[in-house]
Amino acid sequence: MPTYSEHLRSRSDAELVTLLERRPDLANPSPSTLVALAARATSRFSLERALAAVDASSLQVLEAVVALQDVRPAVTSQDVATAIGAPMPEAIAYGLEIALLWGDPTNLHPAPGLGELVGPYPAGLGPVAQTTGAESVLGQTFDAALAAAPIDPAALAAAVAHLLADAPPGAHEVLDALSWGPPVARIPAASSVGQRAAVDWLVTHGLLRAADSARVILPRQLGLALRGGRTHREPAAGEPRPVGTTLPQETVEDESARAAQDAVRLVAGLIREWERVPPPVLRSGGLGVRELRRLASQLEIDDIQAAFVVELAGAAGLIIDDGEDQPTFSPTLDVDEWLDAELPDRWATLATAWLTMTRTPWVVGGRDERGELRAALDPELSRPWAPRLRRAVLAVLDAREPGTVLDADDVAAVLRWRTPRSVPPLTAVAATLREAGVLGVLGANALSAAGRALLRPWPENGTIPAAPHAAGTGMESPVSAERFAAGKAAAAEAIAAVLPVAVSELMLQGDLTGIVPGRPTRELAGLLERMAKVESRGAGVTVRFTIESVRSALDGGQTADELLEELSSHALGEVPQPLEYLVRDAARRHGRLRVGSALGYIRAEDPTLLAGLVDDPSLADLGLVRLAPTVLAAHATPTALLAALRDRGLAPAGEGPDGQVVHARPMVRRVRAGARRRRGAGGVISSAPPTPSAVNGARPAAPSSPADAREWREHLAALVPVLRRAEAEARSDRAAHAHDSGSGGDRGAAGTVDPVAALATLRQAAADGREVWLEIVGPQGTPGRRRVRPLRVDAGRVRAVDTERDAELTVAVHRIAGVTLIDPGEPTT
Amino acid sequence: MTDGPLIVQSDKTLLLEVGHERADACRREIAPFAELERAPEHVHTYRLTPLGLWNARAAGHDAEQVVSVLLEYSRYSVPHALLVDVAETMSRYGRLQLVSDPVHGLVLHALDRAVLEEVLRSRRTAGLVGERLDETDVVVHPSERGHLKQVLLKLGWPAEDLAGYVDGEAHAIALDNATWALRPYQQQAIDSFYFGGSGVVVLPCGAGKTLVGAGAMARSQTTTLILVTNTVSARQWRDELLKRTSLTEDEIGEYSGSRKEVRPVTIATYQVMTTKRKGVYTHLELLDARDWGLVIYDEVHLLPAPIFRMTADLQARRRLGLTATLVREDGREDEVFSLIGPKRFDAPWRDIEAQGYIAPAACVEVRLTLPERERMAYATAEPEDRYRLASCATGKNRIVEELVAKHEGDPTLIIGQYLDQLADLAEHLACDVITGATTVPERQRLFEEFRTGKITKLVVSKVANFSIDLPEASVAIQVSGSFGSRQEEAQRLGRILRPKADGRTAHFYTVVARDTVDQEFAAHRQRFLAEQGYAYTIIDAEDLVTD
Repeated sequence: MPTYSEHLRSRSDAELVTLLERRPDLANPSPSTLVALAARATSRFSLERALAAVDASSLQVLEAVVALQDVRPAVTSQDVATAIGAPMPEAIAYGLEIALLWGDPTNLHPAPGLGELVGPYPAGLGPVAQTTGAESVLGQTFDAALAAAPIDPAALAAAVAHLLADAPPGAHEVLDALSWGPPVARIPAASSVGQRAAVDWLVTHGLLRAADSARVILPRQLGLALRGGRTHREPAAGEPRPVGTTLPQETVEDESARAAQDAVRLVAGLIREWERVPPPVLRSGGLGVRELRRLASQLEIDDIQAAFVVELAGAAGLIIDDGEDQPTFSPTLDVDEWLDAELPDRWATLATAWLTMTRTPWVVGGRDERGELRAALDPELSRPWAPRLRRAVLAVLDAREPGTVLDADDVAAVLRWRTPRSVPPLTAVAATLREAGVLGVLGANALSAAGRALLRPWPENGTIPAAPHAAGTGMESPVSAERFAAGKAAAAEAIAAVLPVAVSELMLQGDLTGIVPGRPTRELAGLLERMAKVESRGAGVTVRFTIESVRSALDGGQTADELLEELSSHALGEVPQPLEYLVRDAARRHGRLRVGSALGYIRAEDPTLLAGLVDDPSLADLGLVRLAPTVLAAHATPTALLAALRDRGLAPAGEGPDGQVVHARPMVRRVRAGARRRRGAGGVISSAPPTPSAVNGARPAAPSSPADAREWREHLAALVPVLRRAEAEARSDRAAHAHDSGSGGDRGAAGTVDPVAALATLRQAAADGREVWLEIVGPQGTPGRRRVRPLRVDAGRVRAVDTERDAELTVAVHRIAGVTLIDPGEPTT
Repeated sequence: MTDGPLIVQSDKTLLLEVGHERADACRREIAPFAELERAPEHVHTYRLTPLGLWNARAAGHDAEQVVSVLLEYSRYSVPHALLVDVAETMSRYGRLQLVSDPVHGLVLHALDRAVLEEVLRSRRTAGLVGERLDETDVVVHPSERGHLKQVLLKLGWPAEDLAGYVDGEAHAIALDNATWALRPYQQQAIDSFYFGGSGVVVLPCGAGKTLVGAGAMARSQTTTLILVTNTVSARQWRDELLKRTSLTEDEIGEYSGSRKEVRPVTIATYQVMTTKRKGVYTHLELLDARDWGLVIYDEVHLLPAPIFRMTADLQARRRLGLTATLVREDGREDEVFSLIGPKRFDAPWRDIEAQGYIAPAACVEVRLTLPERERMAYATAEPEDRYRLASCATGKNRIVEELVAKHEGDPTLIIGQYLDQLADLAEHLACDVITGATTVPERQRLFEEFRTGKITKLVVSKVANFSIDLPEASVAIQVSGSFGSRQEEAQRLGRILRPKADGRTAHFYTVVARDTVDQEFAAHRQRFLAEQGYAYTIIDAEDLVTD
């Protein structure tokens, strides 16, 4: 009987390339040999990823094969068709293609380890009952029927029916309840006499088996027989196609443009607030609730949206934990470039950051298992599946005609079909749609042109033929940096196409308001941001000039004339007189009080005393400035001043805050014991802006040229012969080694086998129920050799039955030095 | 993008570019459902509010109309969410109706069963409704008609009141229009009101609201209760009614602090209605003293809260509200909507000015730099004294003199807040002063002399803010006001807006002390006027004096 790895070896190069394409985790990093490939393909992690990506019909096929394999000598595609109720040639072919099945349509096997992942009760069927276990009243007949069951469920069904003719009341109901699973039932309490009798009768007659002291289980053969040989009630329907509503494309694009502008504005607003007052980082690494609320009120949005804006800015690398002693979230150097960019580019940066970020802003404000509030920017909120979820959600919309609006339930229904093994929670789907709406990836809840452009670099929509519905499952090929950049540029271009033309005119009015009849240009927006307060936004902008807003522009270093000139250059018509008065008034009052810094001062009643001091070269170090005839300010501390003046032969006296003379004792330094500097906070958010490959969750992309699809395929095609060659070499090495050490010698073959290959052999043996020689290194480093039948390979341990000692043992994988399959014919020693 | 005059903002404001060639058409179309918030020179701002949309529904407009108007005139695409919201909001009005059932009396009838379920489950409607008749009808206690409407509005399901009105006691009233005629907009306002049953007519100061009231009375031909802000206003209503209608002195009663007459047409002040003795409103019985066929509320935006409560019990009578603005500084617009009724007519200030029914006005702010000594006094004063100090700056007298001299011969009102300042000014200008302490006959004498041109200058306190008809006043000089009240500013401007015989421009001066709270408050008040489209100019006191 061939094994899984032999099966892989027998595949054509083209088939192997397809496999690697469908399951990129197998090719990245490149495996060394085909056995290593087989080992990786049967590792729990890889199987899980592969299984997570199959759709509902493929999953049915896999479940059917797993369920049938132990009750049929060979599972054929016909068996699968009968069990499911419909021929599933495509799903079977796909299962073979991605090597979750192996063999051929006349003899299908699940990949080793797949059964465990599918679960203890595949398709709701119980474990296979061994015929010898049955204490049947019918004895021989029933046992015979059970033995024949794999061939003829009808005969078994007939036998059961015959048997049930004498059954006590309730027995039928019990079997009916269990036949479609779950196949396990609790044994009724002794007090419920009738039920207990029925169950006891069923157990006595071998129709139920005791699973443990409290539960009974329906054996798989009987389950199948009661179901009429079916594993599934009905074949899974095709992918659901929720109706949704359709909006005109124009509306979608307009809303998208509106949202895009708002999103960019909010992030810019966040930067403006935080560049002045960066909020502190919590000890846990997040942003405090109060800080979030403050930001929300500054940006005039709700807390949920504020959390999203914060996370978005973080993901785009615009703000990070600065890692100082008193850590704060501060804008990065990239901010200036971002602020200077044109709106479409700024948007594309945010949108790609969103699509690829592993953050889950929607959980902010909820509570974690310990009941603590989840804070925005908390490192705990990263989920590797988040970017896949976003692409999966958007892919559902992308597959529909432009303008289609689907709600979260609709999208979730499609995802449930596409990836039944990894169904995202509805809240996450809803949050993803909401976030996409805030960003303008969706416009009025339909995917916008810019959103589509954003999705392009990913294989689902690209030229790389990926598995059906692979997007969002981690099954897609990595994306190259060029592709990524090209996608971003395309997204920027797409949003630029729908943004309204920027307007540089401003209508100024006597009530001190100004109106931009459209989207303001960057210069105009900058001017208004500096010197006015926005009252209303939308297609146009209404601003109000107030004394405070003008003052802040003056604080920024501009003069009244400059401001008025700038205003009139944008104004349609004259600057209204009240506004001019306002600006001039503000300027007139601005700076009437002056503030400066000084460390000390010198004052004297007699101006002549001070006159000489300012120009005295020997006092130049003190940085004396005359503030008034009787006051000098100094850039030196009072102590230094006193000393310097005394040196010069003057007789100064210290002065307290109340103006009284104080005779200060010399200052002496003390430090509090035990003051310790706080340890630098661990980097919370990576200070490096995310690179496309890093955020994609994959190793640096294998193909790095823009002609990615073709090259990626070429790369994979080149990989396969390498694997074969390495495989051949490894085998000849092993053969030589085995020859040297003598096969089966007591010294064992410690360290001679590639651990990956060893695991693959163990998994295969476990799947086939075969025995192996296991070379084990003991705790003292002494090698030993056991003949075992592996049961399970999981989580770094192998569970096996030592057939010679008839005992079960568990061996840590790192203690296994070698594994040799035992030919079933070989006698036990 | 089209080239429409309207920009629809996501926050539900509408920006109308006035200079646009289609601006007039657009304004006419959006006026029924959007509230004009401000109307400065270039761009007028309207706002869509649930009340505004419901007003439009009450006037027979539907959401489709509103949406198509927005789409037609909007320069950019209209936010999708806003359109959805408009349709949603408008569809809420009238799903519940108050109807009069021949068997069960007042009944709340639902066109939508779910809505009725929703409101009946609310705790707020408990006790207001009685027996459930069937799935769509429930009996309403007649006494709770107003209260129920208030509650339904709060729940977001405003009811359409179709239950009709009691006829009231008939009383023949006719307009005596031998020498004058109602202006077209006044006639329109009366018709809209009467057709709608009850509601509010919004007309700017000086546009002849009293005549709308008189017209409504003539239309209704019933006994009428008129509620006004104060006694002076009550007398003016009386005089106007005597002059413009067939009513005689014996038919009009005054119900105020000084007189308690109940006649077929009775004019009562808010103050007397809200007087309480031992926690009881002592004059409530006036409301039931006769079978009133019409109740008129003057200056609805000032209606005090107790009157709302009383009005809740008057829902079976026709109600007419008159006001210059629906904006209430206390934000109780929704009570006006539910208790008095939806807006039935609205004519913007500028429209009426354009038709020549209101005099054009020029507003000027004169800024006075305080002398050193006063600035020091101001800087060191307690915060609560500062406004008074700044308002009463002695330099203002000089400026007022200049201004009065500049408009020598024009009827001029000098308006202020502080009595000693006013007394001082009156002495300076050698003219009379009217304050709250001036007796009513004395006030009427002075007003009469001012009207006839016997005196051209009059110093008045805030008693003159409301409802005093001084048609010939063409210059107003404001020396101090009550902090930042926009209401007051509008009312004071209203004093001089009656059209002048020779079509002169009215002048409205505000004298403020520079760099003080006076200037800040003045800015606040002026904002209102600038928003109404009155261009403000600022001049320095020094320039004025040297002119």
